[in-house]
Amino acid sequence: MTPPMIRSLLWLVLLAAPLALPAAADSGAPGNRALGRSSIAETITQVQPKIVKIYGAGGFRGMEGYQSGMLISPEGHILTVYSYVLDTDYLKATLDDGRKFDAKLLGADPKLEVAVLKIDAADLPCFALDEAVEVESGTRVLALSNLFGVATGNEPASVQHGIVSVKTSLAARRGVFETPYSGSTYVLDAMTNNPGAAGGAVVTRRGKLVGMLGKELRNSLNNTWLNYAVPIAELRTSVDEIRAGRFDPERRDASTARPQRSLQLSMLGIVLLPDVLQRTPPYVDQVYPGSPAAAAGIRPDDLILLVGERLIQSCKALRDELEHIDYEDPITLTLLRDQELLERTLQAKIEEEP
Amino acid sequence: MIATNACFRTRRGIARSATMLGTLLGCLVVADPATSGEPIADVDLLEQNAVQAAVDRVAPSVVRIETVGGMERVGDVLFGSGPTTGLIVDREGYIISSAFSFLHLPASILVRLPDGSLKPATVVGTDHSRKLVLLKIDAGRPLPVPEVAPVAEMRVGQWAIAVGRTFEGSRPNMSVGIISALRRIWGKAIQTDAAVSPNNYGGPLVDVRGRVLGVLVPLSPQSDADLAGYQWYDSGIGFAVDAEHIMSVLPRLKQGEDLHPGVIGISLQGRNPVIGEPVITACHPNSPAAKAGLKAGDRIVEMAGRPIVRAAGVKAELSRRYAGARVSMVVVREQKRIETEVELVAELQPYAHPFLGVLPMRIPGGESVVAIRYVYPDSPAARAGIESGDVLVSLEGKPIENRDTLLQRLATFQPDEDVELEVHRDGQPRNVKLTLGRLPEDLPPAELPPAHGVVAGEEDRPAVGTIRLKIAELKNDAWAYVPEAYASALPHGVVVLLTASGDFDWPELLTRWKPHCDRHDLVLLAIKTVDAQPWRPDDATTVGRFLDEISSSHAVDSSRVVLLGHESGGTLAFAAAARNRELARAVVAIDGPPGSLPLQVDPLHRMAVYAAVREGSRHAKQIKGGIARLRSAKIPVTVKGLAEDTRQLRDQELAELARWIDMLDRI
Repeated sequence: MTPPMIRSLLWLVLLAAPLALPAAADSGAPGNRALGRSSIAETITQVQPKIVKIYGAGGFRGMEGYQSGMLISPEGHILTVYSYVLDTDYLKATLDDGRKFDAKLLGADPKLEVAVLKIDAADLPCFALDEAVEVESGTRVLALSNLFGVATGNEPASVQHGIVSVKTSLAARRGVFETPYSGSTYVLDAMTNNPGAAGGAVVTRRGKLVGMLGKELRNSLNNTWLNYAVPIAELRTSVDEIRAGRFDPERRDASTARPQRSLQLSMLGIVLLPDVLQRTPPYVDQVYPGSPAAAAGIRPDDLILLVGERLIQSCKALRDELEHIDYEDPITLTLLRDQELLERTLQAKIEEEP
Repeated sequence: MIATNACFRTRRGIARSATMLGTLLGCLVVADPATSGEPIADVDLLEQNAVQAAVDRVAPSVVRIETVGGMERVGDVLFGSGPTTGLIVDREGYIISSAFSFLHLPASILVRLPDGSLKPATVVGTDHSRKLVLLKIDAGRPLPVPEVAPVAEMRVGQWAIAVGRTFEGSRPNMSVGIISALRRIWGKAIQTDAAVSPNNYGGPLVDVRGRVLGVLVPLSPQSDADLAGYQWYDSGIGFAVDAEHIMSVLPRLKQGEDLHPGVIGISLQGRNPVIGEPVITACHPNSPAAKAGLKAGDRIVEMAGRPIVRAAGVKAELSRRYAGARVSMVVVREQKRIETEVELVAELQPYAHPFLGVLPMRIPGGESVVAIRYVYPDSPAARAGIESGDVLVSLEGKPIENRDTLLQRLATFQPDEDVELEVHRDGQPRNVKLTLGRLPEDLPPAELPPAHGVVAGEEDRPAVGTIRLKIAELKNDAWAYVPEAYASALPHGVVVLLTASGDFDWPELLTRWKPHCDRHDLVLLAIKTVDAQPWRPDDATTVGRFLDEISSSHAVDSSRVVLLGHESGGTLAFAAAARNRELARAVVAIDGPPGSLPLQVDPLHRMAVYAAVREGSRHAKQIKGGIARLRSAKIPVTVKGLAEDTRQLRDQELAELARWIDMLDRI
């Protein structure tokens, strides 16, 4: 069995399938799962009417005035990303059949970058969010969106195919991705996240909803563009609350606020090497006698590598990280000394101001 | 209901054919739980499962690498701070990765094993040819080494899965494609259409059985530069160094050896290696080629037992070999086969061009002697009593054809070597022996004798005066000025002007340069940046394109092609000359520091630098360091100090510079 053989056989089957299945339809109903042997072409035919083209603010300084969305109720609720495009009173949505509607922004969750629009219509084909599935890396998927605004009027959305490269989280390091979203994410092995694609749908080859394409995002760790979709499960609570008119954005932000008084290195008795290079590694220069650092056995020339679980790559990154830590909380530092990793937990000592 | 029935029947039809496939393929049949054990092959699903299984198989050997500290920029590329991927290749804790990820010279390297544990790592060895590094960690336990796919079993079109471990989470990231080609980049790499980027550089490319085909690295067939190939990330063109090769050099890397691409030290005919003949035009002195007795004029017919017909064949044989490798060669010299063996080296000793100390007359028609226009005071020629008006007739007993062949023949000598010249004065022959000197770095004398007599006019000659140049796919505006006295029998030098801002007023520029162009037979070529933007590194190719354009219509004296830049234009001039050694023979930088790309000379391509430094310049330190580097590469550098308030060269300074350019065809 050689891989090229599999490939050619696959082609045979793919070619044969549409001919053999003239009337097959995957309704998406649970009982029909075993019957979902339709071709990718049929999945696409079935999913495309659920994708809408959204037109709004933009159209200047290289900012596109359009994006994608998906219908999530027969009466015209549309799920899309929250962006500057929606920042207008003249929001339009064009359906797959070419019908144009004025759209109203029902509400948005800026933290998840998700928004729900409403058009006045009935009996529309739509995704049911509660039937969305979770998938593993390696799963073949289709992405449907109006990337680059190629489709207009009654033209259907563009379809791309690929696989889920990995399921990851964007939050593990601060400042890597310029997005307020910090939950789990599907990284896609396909060039999906281009202008206008945000709000598009990622589905399995059977047409099951997997996620929503996000805005264009640069990975500042290695300066590459990220192709990704946000799992529907991450969005559902907010979307349901927005639809029910119960959404309160304030409540969610409380957890990420910075402490009133942050930890500083001087409270630990640590002085770093002068921060003169582009990315000065955080080497310890001095340890004050009698300080928490001295008590913990930290020495000059130790390199601070981790604060808790977070990798620290420069003096600046270390200071930024400490901003997020309350001065009263203990911290665990992982240090490199002579190619050996050491872990030390210490707590700040505050001298009361007179 | 009808639809369901039809569907059901058809599904059974597929099931039947799939059973057949299953019998054929053995392991491809799965039981669908919804149909009471009836076997159904869903090839799509099987394929997906196979890909996932392949990744699972290699995953325990794929590690994440983090770096701490280091530069933010290497060359023009902004460097992220990682993470990157590595592949365990030895149970003792050796990990191979892409050198790209360590170009920013991190202060510390950490490896996170798939089980989450963190280990400090050290760089053991680097393969500069394949752009790989070997790291070592102390894991305290044997590490899982993946299976290697033999090169002999690889086929174009088979599945290839690129695996990285750069995202948070327990699973590696993957990207699926096929093998697009084998033996790419002069036989060094496998090409794939799977998405290859910093997200998986250093990770494995595996087959559908999870065996390692190769390790992903950015590579480019055009360039050996450290960053080459990065521009192609996620483009459908990705490369991997085959794992079999990596395992073969692993023992050397483990010893702490750095592997370098092997250099032989020859120049071959023609610019394009694909059509060029494998004929040696120059041998670098002290090079492996020179030590093996190879000479200019030799035709290479065999390397390592394989026949050679084109220059590309030589490049292919050499490119995949390392310094220290020995290659047997057969050359044909005067109809005789000569067998020899060369031992490649990592780096050639810099070559200093020899100097007689004369300027030649530019005689129209290319007569078969070299007449002396000017003798440098206190030069080897002056000491040997040669005077202007003398004619050089032969070198080492062989007749001199013209200036270019004389320069080519002198390029087999070095300073301090003795040569014999036959010199004619008023028809009287005289033999002189002289010791060759070095190319001078002095400023030119106040006055130079004319370079030629009256040149007959031509009937059908190309345009002269101001010419507007336009290249279809480039947005840059460019102007050229060709002196009225231009004749194709008298090739002209070219001064490519790159202003600091990339903008200029052509009439103003021309007024300043016209008298010097007319006097010294120079074409002025001035290029603007697109939309008055600052110069960008890829403008180096723009310069080459415009030079090609003018050379295609006018006769150009290649020994006097000069890139002249002010400030950032000067840096671009250095970069353009470094990127393409054949482009120009001199760089004039006015308050412009040399960039990171090293300028090199070889016997066939001389290089001279004129560095003008403004008093109190903010670039002074960089320029000083640059000059020292150039001189250590044996490039003659003429240094000129300018007053602090210099915005542009004064008339006198410009005239002096023009004379310096006029003397570039020195011998």
